[in-house]
Amino acid sequence: MAEKKLLLWLSQLACNANAHSLLNHPSLEEFQKSFDWLYHPLLPSLSSLDEILDNYEEMECDILLIDGALCAGLSKKGVRMRDMLEHFAKSCSHILTVGTCATYGGIFSAGGEDRSGLHFDGEKRLDGFSDFFEKSISLPGCPVHPEIVVSVITALAQGGSLPLDSYRRPKEYYGYTVHDGCSRNEYFEYKIDRHDFGHLEGCMFYEHGCRGTYSAGSCNMILWNGVSSKTRVGEPCHGCTEADFPTRGLWRTEKHMGIPARLPLGVSKRAYLSLAGVAKAFRIDRFHRRILEDEE
Amino acid sequence: MSRTLRLIEKVEGEVSLSYRVENGRLRAVSTSFFSSRGIEKILRNREAMDALVINPRVCGICGHAHLMATVRALESAMGNPKLTAKAEALRELTLTLEMIQNHFKWFFLTIAPLLGMKSPIQAAIEPSRTAASMIAVVAGQYPHNSYAIPGGVVCEPTIREKSILLYSLEKLIGYFTRYIVDTDFRSIEECEKIENILRMDGYLPQAMRLIMERGWERLGRSRDRFIVFGENGIFRQGKSMATRYYPSLRPDYIEESFVPESGANSVRYRGRHYETGPLARAMVAKRPLIREAHRRYGDSLLSRIMARVCEIASLLHYCRELIAGIDLSQESYIEPGEFPQSGVGWGVVEAARGSLIHRVEIEEGLIADYSIITPTQWNLVASDAEEGILHGALEGESADAPIELIFKSFDVCSVCTTH
Repeated sequence: MAEKKLLLWLSQLACNANAHSLLNHPSLEEFQKSFDWLYHPLLPSLSSLDEILDNYEEMECDILLIDGALCAGLSKKGVRMRDMLEHFAKSCSHILTVGTCATYGGIFSAGGEDRSGLHFDGEKRLDGFSDFFEKSISLPGCPVHPEIVVSVITALAQGGSLPLDSYRRPKEYYGYTVHDGCSRNEYFEYKIDRHDFGHLEGCMFYEHGCRGTYSAGSCNMILWNGVSSKTRVGEPCHGCTEADFPTRGLWRTEKHMGIPARLPLGVSKRAYLSLAGVAKAFRIDRFHRRILEDEE
Repeated sequence: MSRTLRLIEKVEGEVSLSYRVENGRLRAVSTSFFSSRGIEKILRNREAMDALVINPRVCGICGHAHLMATVRALESAMGNPKLTAKAEALRELTLTLEMIQNHFKWFFLTIAPLLGMKSPIQAAIEPSRTAASMIAVVAGQYPHNSYAIPGGVVCEPTIREKSILLYSLEKLIGYFTRYIVDTDFRSIEECEKIENILRMDGYLPQAMRLIMERGWERLGRSRDRFIVFGENGIFRQGKSMATRYYPSLRPDYIEESFVPESGANSVRYRGRHYETGPLARAMVAKRPLIREAHRRYGDSLLSRIMARVCEIASLLHYCRELIAGIDLSQESYIEPGEFPQSGVGWGVVEAARGSLIHRVEIEEGLIADYSIITPTQWNLVASDAEEGILHGALEGESADAPIELIFKSFDVCSVCTTH
């Protein structure tokens, strides 16, 4: 990279976990050598937020990172956040919505009026910032995985193509489901519907509300903090990367006539029932024993 | 007379601090917050278990404490179902690790720059990343997991997880020695003499020397009233007025009231404001080094900084005991039975910044009311400025004093305050 690109992180209604999560990237120190932060809420930055609020009209950045749900009435020190976002959005080359709140509205959109993501309110497309849609990239997740932020910024700085889906999510990370790579996959494939919390065995899809088979994400491929994932340890995926996060009844599977109401991404009910019927016709002993059980 | 308005930033969001300067002294100190996300409102009419997923999202740096307060509140509403020692130990361990990552980040990202220290960014990042991955190895990810549920924890750690925990903890201890104080971390807990620390190498002694060279060691003194609600293997419940200690507190003596000009709720115990956090914990638990700092400098910014950073040593020691005590053969989870259709529950934990309290009210199986009281509310928001804790620390202080340092010695969390 010829010159250091200038990054700007602007928080809206946020919890700051996206910012903290970035600090967990294993190569953050090396990444930092190639980029400068005009402002980041934790890391050393070229400017204070105070200076930016006072002089933002004279400032620019290369990549704008927006964190947190947008809120029409939000201002800091009398500066409307909306005006400031619009200013930087005009001149930057790319906008990243970092996390589910900035992308779709997320949890906090239900806490007050006029809250949403940058381009989406849940699944609904918004007009407010549509001039910048083509330069925006959506990185949902609550929080977003730090590897995704670092890889995408690096790819943008180096040029080249970044395949995106209709929500403008990079396909390298969101072209999979959270189910891919889950250590409990066999219990799903063979339709073993028993799952007890506190055990290595079992799949949470059938009883405990796991949304991994229909949530876009790569948690189980790139793993969290280099070591694990929610579903690997035995917590259902709550679909935190999705436009409808948080749904209601996050720990139980909604069913119609005993069949899970939501089926794996793109799988028809007929296909699902046919496969389930075949799988259930067999009893495979291994899936009914504890993995750590001593053998004779 | 005109008011000075200062933006205090990098406190998990921002806080607006305002005061008047009269004859070179700060008067009429007040704080205000720019927004509230309305978490308590979001929780209303949801299934109780949903709170386990929503509440960690109160905060990016202490969300795990919010999870623990939530699960305790739910369990309390269920009549406190039995947990195994393993489940208890795992919960304590991950909660303690979150405090460790918080303290490292606070000292090296927040305090060090204000003192002009040239500590490397690795001093903040290496330990916090290690602590985060230790949480993730049993809880799936950090930040934002919900692995503690009524009845225990969802995971079943094996020798893989236990050995990762064991050796990662030794790494954390190594970071303490390399970056905080170059000595056996256990000796900090027993140390009684401030001079012994000052003579050592490391960024803590350096910070203490810098503060003393500038004559700041007694700045930021406040009401000398401390409160600690949480209790566990290292923290003791109680309140302390200067050095007098009163055990046992009742959560129903806590009063919350909205302060319109602040945009946040103040919180008092039987009508009085108290300081919460590591200095309060050290005073209530009578830790010798911090009591010595308090004897010399009072409840000042130096005592606060020492209390928070030295607490890391106790937390590391606690982690070592917890890991060693985990019996992998025990159950992780015991089915707690059905949720009651109605009930009230309290969840109290010590979070990095102090006592965190959740209260849930369940009606017809749904959350009818949820109330979250965070440490920064105790320390920063006052219904009566004459009594407030931050107000006491800044009121009458010279306008030339390191105001931001005094402010940040409380380890302020903006997002938690308004939640």
